[in-house]
Amino acid sequence: MTDQTSLDALRQDLRSWLAINAPKDWRAIADHQAFATSQRQWFMKLVEAGYAVPHWPAQWPGGGRSLAEQKVIYEELARADCPRLLLSFVSTYHAASTLMECGSEAQQARYLPAILKGETWCQGFSEPGAGSDLAAIKTKAELRGDHYVVTGQKVWSTMAQYADKCLLLVRTSSDGPKQAGITFLLMDMKAKGVSVRPINQIQGDEEFCEIFLDEVAVPVSDRVGEDGKGWAVAQTTLSSERGLTLMELSYRMKGAMWRIADLIRYNGLTEDAGVLRDFGHLSARVDAACATADQFLENRMMDIERIGDASVVKLTYSRVLREWSELGLRLGGMAEQYRAPITFGDLNTGNWMADFMNSYAWTIAGGSDEIQRKIIAERMLEMPREPKGWVA
Amino acid sequence: MIERQELHDAARAALGGTIMAPRDAAWRQAAGLGWLLLPVPEEMGGLGLGLDASAAVHFEMGRALGTAPLLPALMVIRALALAGKTELIERAASGELMTTALVLKGPGLSGSAGAYRLDGTLEGVCDADMASHVLVISAGLGICTLIALDSPGVATSERKLWDESRRLFNVTLNDVAVDPGLVLAEGDAVPPMARAIKAEMLCGLAADSLGGAEAALEMTVEYLKTRRQFDRPLAMFQALQHRCADLKTQTNAVLALLWARSIDKDASTADFGALKALATDVYRFVSEEAIQLHGGIGLTDEYPAHHYLKRALANLQLGGSLDLWRETAGRAALKRYTA
Repeated sequence: MTDQTSLDALRQDLRSWLAINAPKDWRAIADHQAFATSQRQWFMKLVEAGYAVPHWPAQWPGGGRSLAEQKVIYEELARADCPRLLLSFVSTYHAASTLMECGSEAQQARYLPAILKGETWCQGFSEPGAGSDLAAIKTKAELRGDHYVVTGQKVWSTMAQYADKCLLLVRTSSDGPKQAGITFLLMDMKAKGVSVRPINQIQGDEEFCEIFLDEVAVPVSDRVGEDGKGWAVAQTTLSSERGLTLMELSYRMKGAMWRIADLIRYNGLTEDAGVLRDFGHLSARVDAACATADQFLENRMMDIERIGDASVVKLTYSRVLREWSELGLRLGGMAEQYRAPITFGDLNTGNWMADFMNSYAWTIAGGSDEIQRKIIAERMLEMPREPKGWVA
Repeated sequence: MIERQELHDAARAALGGTIMAPRDAAWRQAAGLGWLLLPVPEEMGGLGLGLDASAAVHFEMGRALGTAPLLPALMVIRALALAGKTELIERAASGELMTTALVLKGPGLSGSAGAYRLDGTLEGVCDADMASHVLVISAGLGICTLIALDSPGVATSERKLWDESRRLFNVTLNDVAVDPGLVLAEGDAVPPMARAIKAEMLCGLAADSLGGAEAALEMTVEYLKTRRQFDRPLAMFQALQHRCADLKTQTNAVLALLWARSIDKDASTADFGALKALATDVYRFVSEEAIQLHGGIGLTDEYPAHHYLKRALANLQLGGSLDLWRETAGRAALKRYTA
């Protein structure tokens, strides 16, 4: 625990720093390339000031912050209306935790410092035929001497069009259970044979991409863990995004509650009992989502996390985010049906159609709500799995 | 944190998995285990613990569909502690039930400073048959006082509830004189006392609801694992698994809010009301689904699922309705969230 005085000092320091350094016009950026550039600049500023990776261990500059300190940082960044670190999301969470927990010393030395110099990562996990059933991946890697040759296709890779490196799941064997033949590689996105195509999404953003791999060479030294043991490494990667990220996102949603409050005021509904009840209910739900994320992190730090806890956090956040955008959309009325510019990289923008459509990113990506429910039912409630063996 | 877990464990062990234990013995047990001392300051011989501690016990009482009137007793004891009534605290903490109403409708009080006479009906007074006193608050008159139930002009009559785990009474006051020695607060001292009483009530009802929801869900999941149809346990059907997962997720999310809010020194009555609304609504959802997921057996009187549903539906109304607290929370949120 950090004492209140030092938390207040951190808050004051950060507030003064943000008064000068917080990006101002990022919400108006209408060009994807310009958005990526602004993301890179903002990340480097945060790195220099020591606020970019508070969740990293203490030996890293800006790391070793207590949970309470991390919360202060997220609260102040949201309060100053700073953009989320979307472009460095995978590098600072997924790549970092995978490397720190499962990477070799050489891999850590090579890749972790580079992240703080701005190298960005994407995640090559899902495939057209392997979504919820991730272990069914088909992208093939063949060992030839000191490197693997990879051929296949990946999809739903966040910001892959700007990424330098990729956390890649490949199939190295088709024998035995499907989880057993999976290997985890670190791939250079600039390597020969890699091509990327952004996916046009329903709300007009291009956050996700397809990655096509045609005989891409990946050195064996860039394999994380052993050949055929990549599934366990992938679990580490996936669990990283359900912790801190969701605390940050929950508090950002809370920080954007004023957008709905403003809509109620603007529409003259401040005495409408029905609207007040819906807003009061949403407010309690948002508080519950924040408390759930907080408790999850506290439990994790005390090493009393239970199987399925992360799924409860994610399912709670995704449902509340949908409710948040649904209420805004409803109160926004017909005005929201006319197209308006969107803000890149934010889930709580007040463009209610865009926010509503964007909320699907959290009910589908990173393990859909249905997969979270399956995990909760099977692992927490210990309900029996359906028998295998269905044949079409 | 550790204290809270110890309270959970001790309470669960003491209640022993029995539901709806006979009331008088349950009350003696609650007093015997020291639960009435939880909110009493240490200098008055108590444990000096906050809302989270009593919530832990209310949670376990909710799991067990507890019949002991612990919630009204602790509401009164918190008021006595604020008033510094040492002698009354000793009596209350040793098991003399001083009760109060869980329905938020004040009696038509009349009187003048120093010589109050009370008239009207208090609805929803818990277990008045075994209580010595009832606590009355009137914001209008600016008074919070105990009334001895054997005073001239006091009459009690039980109103049977669908929820058989609780007993509520109407207490009618007919020109009842207030004993100055039993007045706990007057004037400006009333609102803070009312806030403390409401905080215990709302946190307590929330905790009771979440304990009940957890128990009802556990019972349902166990049943689904046992009951076989189509040559397999019902628990194997994904359509049912996902519904159970939603019930678990909703319960856990409000539990996280309960533990955060019960130690939040800045939480307002509206905040506790929002928590209570959310928790009782989840209890309603879980206990309603519990019956549906049980199927026919859930409709039988001998199977206990219906007791959770009835307590859940009562909890929705006690301490202020869902609509009331959602609206109150909405007004508070409108004030809090400005650009």
